[in-house]
Amino acid sequence: MRWRRMRFCLILALWVAIPSAADGPLAPYVGRELSQAALGHEQLREIFFVRQSKWQDGTPIRVFVLPDSHPLHVRFAKEILGVYPYQLRSAWDRMLFSGTGVPPTVVDGAEEMRRRVKETRGAIGYLGE
Amino acid sequence: MQSQNKNSHRHVCAVAAICLLSGLPPAAPALDLGYGDWQLHGFLSQGYTYTSGNDFFGNSQGAGSLDFTELGVNVLGHPWPNLLLAAQGLYRNAAGSDQEDFRLDYANVDYRLPLGGASHIGVRAGRVKNPFGLYNEGRDAVWNRPGVLLPTAIYFDALALRQPEISSDGGLLYGRHAFGDHALSAEFLVAEPLDNTGGATEFLTGIPHAPGELGGRPLFIGRAAYEWKEGRLRLVFTVVDLDRDFEFSSPFVPPGNVTAFFPLGSVQVNLEDWTFTGEYGHINIERSGLFPDSAPRVLRDNTSEAFYVQAQYRFAPRWSALLRYDAFFANIDDRSGRETAAALTAFTGVPQPRHRFFQKDITFGLRWEFAQNWLIAAEYHNIDGTGALSAVDNPELNLGGGDPHWDLFALMLSFRF
Repeated sequence: MRWRRMRFCLILALWVAIPSAADGPLAPYVGRELSQAALGHEQLREIFFVRQSKWQDGTPIRVFVLPDSHPLHVRFAKEILGVYPYQLRSAWDRMLFSGTGVPPTVVDGAEEMRRRVKETRGAIGYLGE
Repeated sequence: MQSQNKNSHRHVCAVAAICLLSGLPPAAPALDLGYGDWQLHGFLSQGYTYTSGNDFFGNSQGAGSLDFTELGVNVLGHPWPNLLLAAQGLYRNAAGSDQEDFRLDYANVDYRLPLGGASHIGVRAGRVKNPFGLYNEGRDAVWNRPGVLLPTAIYFDALALRQPEISSDGGLLYGRHAFGDHALSAEFLVAEPLDNTGGATEFLTGIPHAPGELGGRPLFIGRAAYEWKEGRLRLVFTVVDLDRDFEFSSPFVPPGNVTAFFPLGSVQVNLEDWTFTGEYGHINIERSGLFPDSAPRVLRDNTSEAFYVQAQYRFAPRWSALLRYDAFFANIDDRSGRETAAALTAFTGVPQPRHRFFQKDITFGLRWEFAQNWLIAAEYHNIDGTGALSAVDNPELNLGGGDPHWDLFALMLSFRF
């Protein structure tokens, strides 16, 4: 059971690879349950715009994000998803107030992100170094 | 008088509720219901309107009006990964423009079938939001609007058509296919419209107090969209097709029929600091068996025109400015309203001013999210014409009165969780 729980504890951490360069490349650091190829650009967008609701093995996806103005959220939106943060916010608000989707859970900071992603089955979020 | 007291009592309650909530931590999160991804959210918005002439959402002249309150609570979650349940209750007060108080805004079940990669199809049923234009589905919450008010030329807020425009009872099929940065999506709705609510029956039939009920064929709406990079460029085309029979309460009057056909084109460009939006539509209304052949053509077969262009500028974090021009012409062949006014004056025997048949509005606005989950928006409108005003709030419009040129100042404070 514990093994199964661990198996579903998907942690996607995004590594800001080159801290010395402000706009250096971001390399996704992927938890052991997923191969990097499985989470391409396109699939990450499907997940963070909440259009994909389960992993390939059927586990429900739970998405965690930082507040809209958090620097890491801004970088994640722009550099990994290729969108402006307000595009995500407007898509999430539209689904929320029209009953067409469940927006991601907003966590206060990196520590809570790490904890919630670890504790939650099928979770995905992002972390910086 | 009694209803005025009732209304002022209500907005006092709403203001008190907002003040109470201000004691909460500013980042009050959504209520996680502790089971799967189930969440509870809501919003409380209190508005204020002030006008130099005419009334907009209550007695807005003089000291202004607080008869503009929007409260919503929704719950949503997935019992199974591809099955979504969602419902929202809404209380809305906008004086004579909205007299329905509490309502079930949406309550739907949604099943989505992934088609591999970045494509899916789905079906949604229940009380569903109408897929219409760019703003319709989320417009109850000011959080989904660029300012206090949406362009009234297309999103009728003061007219009785608001509720039938927003949601209906039935189902829709939808699909989305993405390839790289491009995505195509489509929705098709078949539903019983909420056209016997508010003053919609009166508006659609063109008959004062409309003694009877609309029924017959369900409403069809189709919407297709192309998106580049999740909406950096968005091209949307919507068609609304309504065909309703009107049964008079009196068995001696044969039923009539009204059809409405509303094609709407929408474009939006989302840049880092700027958003540019435009929507353009025609509304063709044909009525048979409701007016004699001698009635003016505008009552039997008429096309109106509605459009707006809008710029939003995010000039600082949490701040945005709004500039918009929106226009509505009740008769596309008579944008000045002169001929329409003359024909209706002759037919009804009551003077009809030409300013009732158009409305042109220039809007400047500011919006500030001054704390997490808190927002305040303010805007100034310079308006020519009274074509989109409520005759319930402005009964003098039906007697040849009303101010053709007027200013509107609108303010809204909102909290969400």
